[in-house]
Amino acid sequence: MCGILAVLGCSDESQAKRVRVLELSRRLKHRGPDWSGLHQFGDCYLAHQRLAIIDPASGDQPLYNEDKSIVVTVNGEIYNHEELRKLLPNHKFRTGSDCEVIAHLYEEHGEGFVDMLDGIFSFVLLDTRDNSYLAARDAIGITPLYIGWGLDGSVWISSEMKGLNDDCEHFEVFPPGHLYSSKGGSYKRWYNPPWFSEAIPSVPYDPLVLREAFEKAVIKRLMTDVPFGVLLSGGLDSSLVAAVTARHLAGTKAAEQWGTQLHSFCVGLEGSPDLKAAREVADYLGTVHHEFHFTVQDGIDAIEEVIYHIETYDVTTIRASTPMFLMSRKIKALGVKMVISGEGSDEIFGGYLYFHKAPNKEELHKETCRKIKALHQYDCLRANKATSAWGLEARVPFLDKEFIDVSMNIDPESKMIKPDLGRIEKWVLRKAFDDEENPYLPKHILYRQKEQFSDGVGYSWIDGLKAHSAEHVSNKMMQNAKNIYPHNTPTTKEAYYYRMIFERFFPQNSARLTVPGGPSVACSTAKAIEWDAQWSKNLDPSGRAALGVHVSAYDPTVPSSIAAGTNPAMLINKKQRMMEVKAPELTISS
Amino acid sequence: MCGILAVLGCSDESQAKRVRVLELSRRLKHRGPDWSGLHQYGDCYLAHQRLAIVDPASGDQPLYNEDKSIVVTVNGEIYNHEELRKLLPNHKFRTGSDCEVIAHLYEEYGEGFIDMLDGIFSFVLLDTRENSYIAARDAIGITPLYIGWGLDGSVWISSEMKGLHDDCEHFEVFLPGHLYSSKGGGYKRWYNPPWFSEAIPSTPYDPIVLRETFEKAVIKRLMTDVPFGVLLSGGLDSSLVAAVTCRHLAGTKAAEQWGTQLHSFCVGLESSPDLKAAREVADYLGTLHHEFHFTVQDGIDAIEDVIYHIETYDVTTIRASTPMFLMSRKIKALGVKMVISGEGSDEIFGGYLYFHKAPNKEELHMETCRKIKALHQYDCLRANKATSAWGLEARVPFLDKEFINVAMSIDPESKMIKPDLCRIEKWVLRKAFDDEANPYLPKHILYRQKEQFSDGVGYSWIDGLKAHAADHVSNKMMQNAKNIYPHNTPTTKEAYYYRMIFERFFPQNSARLTVPGGPSVACSTAMAIEWDAQWAKNLDPSGRAALGVHVSACDPTAPPLIAAGTNPGVLINKKQSMMEVKKAPELTINS
Repeated sequence: MCGILAVLGCSDESQAKRVRVLELSRRLKHRGPDWSGLHQFGDCYLAHQRLAIIDPASGDQPLYNEDKSIVVTVNGEIYNHEELRKLLPNHKFRTGSDCEVIAHLYEEHGEGFVDMLDGIFSFVLLDTRDNSYLAARDAIGITPLYIGWGLDGSVWISSEMKGLNDDCEHFEVFPPGHLYSSKGGSYKRWYNPPWFSEAIPSVPYDPLVLREAFEKAVIKRLMTDVPFGVLLSGGLDSSLVAAVTARHLAGTKAAEQWGTQLHSFCVGLEGSPDLKAAREVADYLGTVHHEFHFTVQDGIDAIEEVIYHIETYDVTTIRASTPMFLMSRKIKALGVKMVISGEGSDEIFGGYLYFHKAPNKEELHKETCRKIKALHQYDCLRANKATSAWGLEARVPFLDKEFIDVSMNIDPESKMIKPDLGRIEKWVLRKAFDDEENPYLPKHILYRQKEQFSDGVGYSWIDGLKAHSAEHVSNKMMQNAKNIYPHNTPTTKEAYYYRMIFERFFPQNSARLTVPGGPSVACSTAKAIEWDAQWSKNLDPSGRAALGVHVSAYDPTVPSSIAAGTNPAMLINKKQRMMEVKAPELTISS
Repeated sequence: MCGILAVLGCSDESQAKRVRVLELSRRLKHRGPDWSGLHQYGDCYLAHQRLAIVDPASGDQPLYNEDKSIVVTVNGEIYNHEELRKLLPNHKFRTGSDCEVIAHLYEEYGEGFIDMLDGIFSFVLLDTRENSYIAARDAIGITPLYIGWGLDGSVWISSEMKGLHDDCEHFEVFLPGHLYSSKGGGYKRWYNPPWFSEAIPSTPYDPIVLRETFEKAVIKRLMTDVPFGVLLSGGLDSSLVAAVTCRHLAGTKAAEQWGTQLHSFCVGLESSPDLKAAREVADYLGTLHHEFHFTVQDGIDAIEDVIYHIETYDVTTIRASTPMFLMSRKIKALGVKMVISGEGSDEIFGGYLYFHKAPNKEELHMETCRKIKALHQYDCLRANKATSAWGLEARVPFLDKEFINVAMSIDPESKMIKPDLCRIEKWVLRKAFDDEANPYLPKHILYRQKEQFSDGVGYSWIDGLKAHAADHVSNKMMQNAKNIYPHNTPTTKEAYYYRMIFERFFPQNSARLTVPGGPSVACSTAMAIEWDAQWAKNLDPSGRAALGVHVSACDPTAPPLIAAGTNPGVLINKKQSMMEVKKAPELTINS
């Protein structure tokens, strides 16, 4: 990843302004430790902090078209840049950077080119011929992007909020899949896939098609000139990423340069479930496996920095980001600059436990659509910023544009969880990689239900966070929470603790509005709360147990009985942490 | 390099204090991007940001002795740690870190162990058995260190000023070669080599002894578990470092892991003298050579960041630091974590041009002693902080303790510049590596006189800086300079420009006092200004030409002719940038 910052039309061409832009751009230096660049054209500034993954020698930014009339600062990876270059035979390229093609495509096709890009990106493009500009963000929002407006009439675009929050009167999240053009002066959605309308698709499930689409998505992401690896928690998604990467590594350019042995990385408290599960998968695949242990104190000491980097006060995101943040530093210290990771699968396939309660395929499908649309505020935010904090790039093949199209075209009937048929969550994905002849993973791993991220790193992590917050947030503070934080009021001490830290770094009202809130049950959208009458009525946070879905229910050695909604007490003891809800918002009916 | 921060006896054990210490420690994160650690014992906090060079897997800090009663946070490299471990046969070590030995040595020997360390270091050690602590800094001050005092009675120690300046009532540079102990409550100098007294030594010059000592100094510094390289400007000092490293690389543990091909790095404006000179040396040695080009605008855009990192407003230091700062980022981006560099040779051997005017061997020797003692505020500061800004470590073999002892015990007569004998500056060093049978470097490089750092990167660099400063500092501003900055008043627009930036980052009075000032001619100390009556009297900044020393004078193909002090007009045209004096302003002050 890189960091971009653009200040457009600020009516100020002074040295003081240039120094200020340089200073703000340095706040994004962690995203691109390798080099920086600033292009100034009148009162427009395009700044860049570069992490060099492709063409480290010559790809410094900003990038230009042939006659330098078009300038672009990009954070991204364009996986199909070689094919796109072929479409531009009469263009002369200056660098080997995959992003340079953006300047040339614009020159050739105007704004309409954005959908031709296969990859992840945020960019700002300045057309000096007519002094116009264009900013855009990738389909799902895998790269972060913010937009702001200054009192002087300027428009600001930045990879992270910290690049613009102090200088804009108002700012907000730049919506994924959109472009913002100075000519129109507003957003336009360039990403219009069939699934976006949330209509119910009917293509029958074909395991081989799904498998091939995913393999292609992984192979694309092996484009790198620097050492890389995979994040492996031992769960289904990361294990599939590792298995497919291991299978296709040989023969790639990356393998020629860095060897055919795949590095895998896992983080956890000593003796945690993830460490054990990941080791098992790593042994099976024969990766060079690296384990990182952290202590609860290490994690707590990092919280301030995590919130500064991730730019959220969302409780689940902070819990899950912290181990990833710590691990990223260690991975980078080994000289690895890019990792492939498993985010997105739970959203596409309905992998969260509350999907057990999906009333019908229509509801399930619509919920997956909503989840994908919201990804940029949750797991994409985490995966990108937790790694970028240390100059590490995360690539997420499950969020490949083509793979999403294929997966979201499948008749959602096959995504329904059906205990009687032995179909657990994400069954369509598991089945797709259930290759008897040449197994990707051992069966028990392929069909294993696993902890969600924050639990997998070790049960005492969340307990530790809660205990720590309880020590530093008094009951009196909680009583006034509504008055102090009227928007997205924290209703637990943990949430209050995070919120205090967030407000210290980002005190603006605009900042708190960038963070999502609203009711949720175990990561559901507000809408899905309607799936169970119990959920919306339950004002008691411990009502989270109502969600109870016995995860070992499908253990072939155990009779398949679903405990959904029944016998909550027992479930609390057994799987309390997995049932963790975004508790605060449960109290709000929507 | 790593970053250390210690807060000792602050009478505050709260979570808020812990968070504050963590926050301040993060200001040193660039020095140690690989991991961080904090050890809290009551109201004492030892924080560490780690750059992992030796034992990346297990050497996270703070480090402990066997029973964990002694805790230490260290920024350093202890080159003789393996021998030292052998002196402690009944100690059990927890990590492979070269720094762990410090905790054990203290347990065994108390404060007196410091002189046993061969390497560079800054550390704070906490003895929880009696709640005492000591802090110490290496002999020459190759690692940076600051000490401060809080109103709450706390003592603060930090690798960089930015770690403590906002929280201390007063702070200052922690003196090199000293230790500070809570028992005594004050400094004690632990470094007491013969040369420190500035007495005139008499050991006859022996080229082979000098050569061998330098080779040993380089070999020690090949201790690494990560990729490394050499900084190569093409001048004598960096070329010798590269030549010796090349020769001894094969057979080291580093070569087993990273290959026997040495990487070398050079920075400059397009087609600058250094780039050309370095390429020539790289070709001769067969290194994998990397050239980085920067533009004057790149450099100017970096100035704020450079001043924030180097923590100085000294003009020459900022000029020389900027290209090094830019290059370090590129080197780190290639995955290289450590470089060997040539700092210190000019001080030890009297390599600056003003040494041509040294009146006698006594004066020359004393000046070299003064220069070495001041290194920590100039070239050591630059070399360490310009690289550490990007998590790169610089190692400087010329400042090896043993090498300094050998080099500074030589009868200074042989260091005198003698045009008639064709002895140019640093002749003793050149001669030591003049091996006919197995040449380290081609003769013309070995005896070449070269640009000083800021000029070598390209002449327009300094011109560009001056022009930029002139654009942004008005004459009116200069008129009030004395009132605004009564201490170390800037007398050029360039100096004023840097000073404004420095004051913005470090507004405290203590901060401006950490930066040296005073009169100087072309990098001389104040004392050496007396060498030439012209210098002290010359109120005209362009009087710098009075220094004029024809650098090509000893070209073997040309008759040896030294133009020192003569014919300045011609010289200005020929070598104007090289004649650049340090802190021209203070030339006006008699000392």
